[in-house]
Amino acid sequence: MAGGEGPVAECREHLFKVLVIGELGVGKTSIIKRYVHQLFSQHYRATIGVDFALKVINWDSKTLVRLQLWDIAGQERFGNMTRVYYKEAVGAFVVFDVTRGSTFEAVSKWKHDLDSKVLLPNGSPIPAVLLANKCDQKKDGSQNPSQMDQFCREGGFVGWFETSAKDNINIDEAARFLVENILANYKTFPNEENDVGKPKLDLDPLKAESKSQCC
Amino acid sequence: HQSGPPVPGLGKGGGSAVPSLRSPWPLFPAEEACVRTPLQKQQSLPLRPVIPLVARISDQNASGAPPMTVREKTRLEKFRQLLSSHNTDLDELRKCSWPGVPREVRPVTWRLLSGYLPANMERRKLTLQRKREEYFGFIQQYYDSRNEEHHQDTYRQIHIDIPRTNPLIPLFQQPLVQEIFERILFIWAIRHPASGYVQGINDLVTPFFVVFLSEYVEEDVENFDVTNLSQDVLRSIEADSFWCMSKLLDGIQDNYTFAQPGIQKKVKALEELVSRIDEQVHNHFRKYEVEYLQFAFRWMNNLLMRELPLRCTIRLWDTYQSEPEGFSHFHLYVCAAFLIKWRKEILDEEDFQGLLMLLQNLPTIHWGNEEIGLLLAEAYRLKYMFADAPNHYRR
Repeated sequence: MAGGEGPVAECREHLFKVLVIGELGVGKTSIIKRYVHQLFSQHYRATIGVDFALKVINWDSKTLVRLQLWDIAGQERFGNMTRVYYKEAVGAFVVFDVTRGSTFEAVSKWKHDLDSKVLLPNGSPIPAVLLANKCDQKKDGSQNPSQMDQFCREGGFVGWFETSAKDNINIDEAARFLVENILANYKTFPNEENDVGKPKLDLDPLKAESKSQCC
Repeated sequence: HQSGPPVPGLGKGGGSAVPSLRSPWPLFPAEEACVRTPLQKQQSLPLRPVIPLVARISDQNASGAPPMTVREKTRLEKFRQLLSSHNTDLDELRKCSWPGVPREVRPVTWRLLSGYLPANMERRKLTLQRKREEYFGFIQQYYDSRNEEHHQDTYRQIHIDIPRTNPLIPLFQQPLVQEIFERILFIWAIRHPASGYVQGINDLVTPFFVVFLSEYVEEDVENFDVTNLSQDVLRSIEADSFWCMSKLLDGIQDNYTFAQPGIQKKVKALEELVSRIDEQVHNHFRKYEVEYLQFAFRWMNNLLMRELPLRCTIRLWDTYQSEPEGFSHFHLYVCAAFLIKWRKEILDEEDFQGLLMLLQNLPTIHWGNEEIGLLLAEAYRLKYMFADAPNHYRR
């Protein structure tokens, strides 16, 4: 840390736009609140349109990652609106509720919507992680882990996690996994197009007077 | 063609915090109210309520509610006169209601303004009876179908959203109240297949429910236990809430039909309007790539209910129901005035996240009638300047 003095070379800061999508009431908002604020409540109101949250991660000694989380309403009926919301996203969580089988059936619909509206600069789909939320409760349906693995391979998910926002299970792990995948893409295409909007992001090494928490 | 001009500071509609002693079941509170002695209002109790963190429903000005002023008493008298006349003059009632309806006469005034209750006194009782029966006829006919396949999705969505409607107000956590909301929303949804149930409509029932409930509750509606009311009373509140909400939604139907064209149009109109009235704010949004849809979608979809305490929404709706096309058109100007109200805070934010975080969590928790009065006055001014001058407002 050296008192934050002197130019710190090689310290990189990334800003990544990450979508959180899935059917209504599966716990998207709860997952985000748990991840960002370490809180859980039964009392979140239904998201209307989109909600925003920001999570700052000291990824490693040289990297600061800012995740801009877009919490998209589950009852998304604004035909073109998801297109507006998805623009420039570099990663996504697709969430379903293990206690309601119908929300799992809708996962493919959401994934398809995602892939048809946003792509990486090289034309491949953005990395998406499947979250089987409310795993602290009794399951409805009988996907076993190997079936889930297969579902993910076929559906183009980079992986899946059983999560519980209530009991704080696997949420940090899932986010870490998604960020790893985003960063891997970033290394393949190390230009600003992987990051959200240019004016907001400084890809040059941070200047001495900027925050030094990542170095 | 305008209704009464807004007078800033006059927005203290039902600003009295003195507990009123009202008889339990007045069908027409205006008539009942005349019987009450004005004496109660004279006891100026040392009542300066501290505004609690959770927004209270009851009318309060940000500075605490002062005892009723002479001016407010005169206004209340005027309302009582209008409401008890053989044929209520609706134009006059709108004019009086624009700057806020006194709490004591709000339920009957809202029924009249929404077009639910006829202006003619003799027809009122029968109309209410007939409409209430009609509503419960729908329930009998359709409510059992909620678990059938073609309505299952609708019912399920409503069922998920009801417990999270005003989750912090104990009133709405009571099973009886939640059942009432489910019935109202389900019946409305299946009778309007072009839109069906859309998230946000659940919020729109609340002001009606609270106002009609307030007719039977003396204080502290948010903690009231509805099992204290007779079944008849609860049924009346339910049916009246259903019909008034239906009237409201009739006027903004294209907000909720497929692809929500009404909302898209209004968000665009808001953007144009703001670019005319406050270029600096508009350019600030452009600079940081903030799109109006990202925050104003909710403002339109939920009529600012998510941005304001419930008591403020109730006050706002006094005006919306008095203003021609209040919910469908005037709301746009209210949104513009609301946005500009935060211009300093907006201009202080220097990145996308900061701006969106601010715009989605505007600090209105302490707002009361005064703030809404000022907001409405500004909205009225904007409407006056821009509504009838399309060239002016186009870029």
